Amino acid sequence: MLIRNLLYFIKEAFRSICRNGWMSFASIAVVAVTLFILGSFMLLNINVEHVTNDIKDQVEVIVYVDEELDSSELDQLRITLVQLPKVEQVRFVSKEDALVNLKEQLGELMAGYEEQGRNPLRDSFEIRTIIPEDIPAVAVELQNIPGIARVDYGTDVVDKLFSFTGMVKWMGLAFMGGLAFTAMFLIANTIKLTVMARSKEIKIMKWVGATEWFIRWPFVIEGVVLGTIGALIPALILNYLYGAAVTWTQINLFFLPLVPPNAILGQLIKILLILGTTIGGLGSLLSMRRFLKA
Amino acid sequence: MIEVQHVKMVYPNGVGALNDISVSIEQSEFVFIVGASGAGKSTLIRLIGREFLPSSGSIRVFGKEITRLRRREVSMFRRSIGVVFQDFRLLDNHSIFDNVAFAMQVVGATPREVRRRVPESLEMVGLTGKAKMKPHELSGGEQQRVCLARAIINQPSLIIADEPTGNLDPKTSMEIMELLRTINIRGTTVMMATHDSEIVNKMKQRVIRLADGKIERDEQRGVYSHYAH
Repeated sequence: MLIRNLLYFIKEAFRSICRNGWMSFASIAVVAVTLFILGSFMLLNINVEHVTNDIKDQVEVIVYVDEELDSSELDQLRITLVQLPKVEQVRFVSKEDALVNLKEQLGELMAGYEEQGRNPLRDSFEIRTIIPEDIPAVAVELQNIPGIARVDYGTDVVDKLFSFTGMVKWMGLAFMGGLAFTAMFLIANTIKLTVMARSKEIKIMKWVGATEWFIRWPFVIEGVVLGTIGALIPALILNYLYGAAVTWTQINLFFLPLVPPNAILGQLIKILLILGTTIGGLGSLLSMRRFLKA
Repeated sequence: MIEVQHVKMVYPNGVGALNDISVSIEQSEFVFIVGASGAGKSTLIRLIGREFLPSSGSIRVFGKEITRLRRREVSMFRRSIGVVFQDFRLLDNHSIFDNVAFAMQVVGATPREVRRRVPESLEMVGLTGKAKMKPHELSGGEQQRVCLARAIINQPSLIIADEPTGNLDPKTSMEIMELLRTINIRGTTVMMATHDSEIVNKMKQRVIRLADGKIERDEQRGVYSHYAH
């Protein structure tokens, strides 16, 4: 492509944006609104996943040890547990420590036990897995290891938690997928309307001998420019709003662990810009096919 | 320059427009295609402009079989002809200058060439001083002049015109015809479809009369009709 042509295409694209002011405004508005909604749901989904991961990370298996094991056997058992492939962390809790913890939790209810000087608890290991969802499988594996008396991970609660978080994740993804599709459909249709409004222009261009690419380029550049502007607006607004939301949450809902802005906003802005420019450019290109063939 | 041989045209909806037409047009001729509505005049003009393909037959323009052109070659072919439409087909939100300049930019003319030749072309059609105006600010006759300026800007050897005076009053129509005649005298072939008998009779050029998709009459220095009208 000649530099002169490229300059002409860029100049024509910008002139056309100005000439068709209202259509350009409508395209930018549709891109901005749909990408804003999509971006908001992406942030929401990422945070829901972050919060559920945080909860899942707290899930652990408690392994109660046989009372007969001596200290060297306990040590051997610890090594066996640490070497399990799916296990991330193994923490030993002696029965003395367990009793102290229990006393802290139950307070006065433990008074009788204290007087008798007895400890009915057992030594135990608190085990966390690399992937929280592996806990049930690891628990089954642990039951077959000699020296382990009982395995407990709150089966019901954990299974429900995992199925709930899994559902939230898939629903979020499906919703975002649907939203992305709707956004693309809406934007492509708006661009199609813009192109349709100028079908006469395209026909005249053809009649004076413009090649198809000569006609396409200014439209494609125009679509890319409109898509980029349309994506920049929600990117900037979301950047500001999310920053403010995280600050507000840290003060007012400190127990809610939102993803820090600098960890996701860069990626989100990139995604919105790529979506905007791609949909803008491709939308123009595809919308023109019908008019170029005519 | 133009060789049309055994051309038949049946539209996709089954309507037959041309039925075995053969005609030959030489360089620098001025040819009127006349006939009643539906006789096939516009179809013939549009076939020569390669807007669509005939159902059968051969059309050679500048020695090239235009029915076999590929899409890119069609663009190149269109650059070598000038086209004038009844409805002017100007870009509404472009200035008059830009409307004419556009046809030059398409063929890759430099900005300097554009700045030099567009005013010349506008001057030739009598629109000096109106370059910055928009089409809707001009009268019908003036808009057709812009269309003519655009058609001649790349100095084509052939101009095809489909009812160029169809939307104009008689006086303005004659002014447009004078311009077309001037362009023709400079060596450009002009082929024009019209049903304006007054113009045809006054110009005394070659007249090809179509009726029901066939050539009814082909006369040098002809008239619109031999019957009173």
